[in-house]
Amino acid sequence: MNDIGEFILLVALATALYGVVSYVMAINGNRIDLYLSADKTPVIVWGCVVIASIALWRAFLTDDFSLQYVWAYSNRELDTFYKVSSFWGGQKGSLLFWTLILTTYMTVVYFQNRKKNIRVMPYAMTIMLLIVIFFLFLLNFSTNPFERIPLPPEDGRGLNPLLQNYWMVIHPPTLYLGYVGFTVPFAFAMAALISKNLDDGWIRLTRKWTLLAWFFLCMGNLFGASWAYVELGWGGYWAWDPVENAAFMPLLVATAFLHSIQIQEKKDMMKVWNMSLVLLTFVMTIFGTFITRSGLIQSVHTFDEATLGYYFLGFLGVIISICVTMIILRLPLLKSKNELDSFLSRESSFLFNNLVLLGIGFATFWGTIFPIISEAVRGVKITVGPPFYNQVNVPIGLVLLALIGIGPVIAWKRATWSNLKKNFLMPVAAALIAAAVLFPIVPLKERAEIFTYITFILCVFVMTCILKEFFKGALARREQHGGTFIGEVASLTWHNKRRYGGYIVHIGVVLIFAGIAGSQAYGVHDQRHLKIGESIKLRNYTITYEKLNAVEATSVKTRVIAQIGVYRDNQRVWTGRPEKEFYKGQNQPVSEVDVLSTIVEDVYLILADFREDESATIKVYINPMVSWLWTGGWVIAFGTMVCMWPDRLEQRRRLSRMKKQEALFAPAQE
Amino acid sequence: MMKKHSTLLGILLAMFLLVGSAALSQAAALLADLENALMCKCEDKCGKVLINCTCATSDKTRAEFTKLLDSGLTVDQIIADQVTKHGETVLSAPTKNGFNLTAWVTPFVALLAGGFGLGKIIEAWKRKGSSDNQQVEAEETATPIPSKYSDRLREELDKIES
Repeated sequence: MNDIGEFILLVALATALYGVVSYVMAINGNRIDLYLSADKTPVIVWGCVVIASIALWRAFLTDDFSLQYVWAYSNRELDTFYKVSSFWGGQKGSLLFWTLILTTYMTVVYFQNRKKNIRVMPYAMTIMLLIVIFFLFLLNFSTNPFERIPLPPEDGRGLNPLLQNYWMVIHPPTLYLGYVGFTVPFAFAMAALISKNLDDGWIRLTRKWTLLAWFFLCMGNLFGASWAYVELGWGGYWAWDPVENAAFMPLLVATAFLHSIQIQEKKDMMKVWNMSLVLLTFVMTIFGTFITRSGLIQSVHTFDEATLGYYFLGFLGVIISICVTMIILRLPLLKSKNELDSFLSRESSFLFNNLVLLGIGFATFWGTIFPIISEAVRGVKITVGPPFYNQVNVPIGLVLLALIGIGPVIAWKRATWSNLKKNFLMPVAAALIAAAVLFPIVPLKERAEIFTYITFILCVFVMTCILKEFFKGALARREQHGGTFIGEVASLTWHNKRRYGGYIVHIGVVLIFAGIAGSQAYGVHDQRHLKIGESIKLRNYTITYEKLNAVEATSVKTRVIAQIGVYRDNQRVWTGRPEKEFYKGQNQPVSEVDVLSTIVEDVYLILADFREDESATIKVYINPMVSWLWTGGWVIAFGTMVCMWPDRLEQRRRLSRMKKQEALFAPAQE
Repeated sequence: MMKKHSTLLGILLAMFLLVGSAALSQAAALLADLENALMCKCEDKCGKVLINCTCATSDKTRAEFTKLLDSGLTVDQIIADQVTKHGETVLSAPTKNGFNLTAWVTPFVALLAGGFGLGKIIEAWKRKGSSDNQQVEAEETATPIPSKYSDRLREELDKIES
């Protein structure tokens, strides 16, 4: 099976190359026979990659340590669950996994569009195949997952204990689904540029794909934060690590794109800008991959054998050059009307939202690459860590939060004083009341506390803006149809999925902002070395160390578990069991934290150390509002589902818009 | 008398505890400042800020810093000592002077430049919109007259006037 896996990857590469050549010849020579032949290649390539993936999975599940990759990332004792996820635990397998997702997306796009969008499909397929070729080239000639060990060892080295966590099983695939998903909008955008079909068609074709990729990337980031929170044992969830930044940057650019395409759809403006954003999103995903796989920047997330830097740097260079060239060449065709009635309009607020999103993206990019710049200019390598990002991105983020409230409520075209008053009076009043109520309650000494105070006020402002929209719409519907208020809110959302789905996403974002602010500013922690029966007092909690147990979990894993009684106002509320896991052959033990999570705060327990006399070092964090962050993530997921749900009404509306446009254009054509 | 003594003792004890806990929390705050300002320098090159690191080296470093703080060294002195030992890379963020200042300033300069550029673009689009609107209004109000008719009309009017 390993031979088949290795061979089939070569077949996939040859087929993809044939596909590209045939598509190009078919387009240039207008040859239908070549086109029909090329049109089979995306599915064949996908089939080959599926077979290769099955071969690798089989090797993991059957403990075939003749493969160097299986030996390096698995062992006989590993749970089947983690043997499946070991597939993407290292450089080689993760590249194959990337290729599997990419070719699967390509095949879905192929079946979805081959009969509908014949004008751009050959171009889009060619672009996607070219990207597939790059990854297949790496898999065949640089990082072959089917590389053998001449004398196969009895057992494998095992999967990094930090990766043996359920979030790590979900997090990388979700992140990859997001990263790779942006290839589809990129391919259609490039196809539109090459084929000169630069009407709104490519946006219609790719909007949902962009939304889908955005959703997965967003979820991937949140799952990664969850993993860091429960597995890394430092009480936090986001460390502004270069690899985290690499996944955050495309998300920001894609968010900007998803907002600005609304202006193109409504007003036929900003074609160059939107095209640039969609291309930039893809460029950022490749930049992120370069960071992860080059070994250029130090990070806890980079792969062990990070040797692919030059390949990805070259690929990045080629892609940027092609993108810039194509945009310049097609500038005359991308010209649009670009007219605005007023600074005070939804169009302007969307433009400023784009500016702020890209501003945060740029600050993150700048911080990520600054160590390289410093080394090149001064010869001194420096570190750019969380204090930099917090100081730079937090103020910009607050402007973004304000715009989340302003954007959807301000009028299209021109906002007059009276409609500004009508739309913003209540949200501003709510924000002022929140400011007055919170002022005597929250501490306001440190910078973080002041920013948190402002964040809470803005959260109230934005939430009022959004809820007012729901309230206004539902009330109007109830007057028309006479149903219940809740029923009308549901009906309103169902009949305007894009708009109200978007508002739900915004509610999720507000919850995330509140969660981050609360947990960053008001968290406290303490660490003590305790004997059995001794306690730590933190806020209104008493944390009592009760006993220590050692459990031989498997032949390679020993668990040392501390039992800790948690009392709030002298009432026992929970028994926490943080532990340390010792893996055979690993130098460092792994901390498994235990968390009591409520809507108000998390009690987060870590067994930092223990001694033979059963005394132990216990670290306790009280992290307020962390659950708001995860809730916000699920709200975003729900809102995105609503946005993406097929909408017949929206299709009908679009059709009638197109018919009106045809009627408008008819006399001009005469 | 006894009651007075016990009250005094109670007050003294409370004061001692208050001063003690304040000193403890101040020491914890100083240690937290150090942990935030410095990176973990473990052999694994974990790349984490000390406050976020859970490895054995980070625990040793914390204990060492606590001792240094107890010995009377200030946070700045300890940081300077760490920079001498490990180089600038031990700092969790660039310093705010010299070339490093560009790290802090550039994002805001870029944002301001972007804001200024965007303002200019919106202004230009606004002007274009209003001039186009005026043109449309003018076209709508004026009766479109084909040129051959307008020429004839001018000739007739000229005749009347003459």
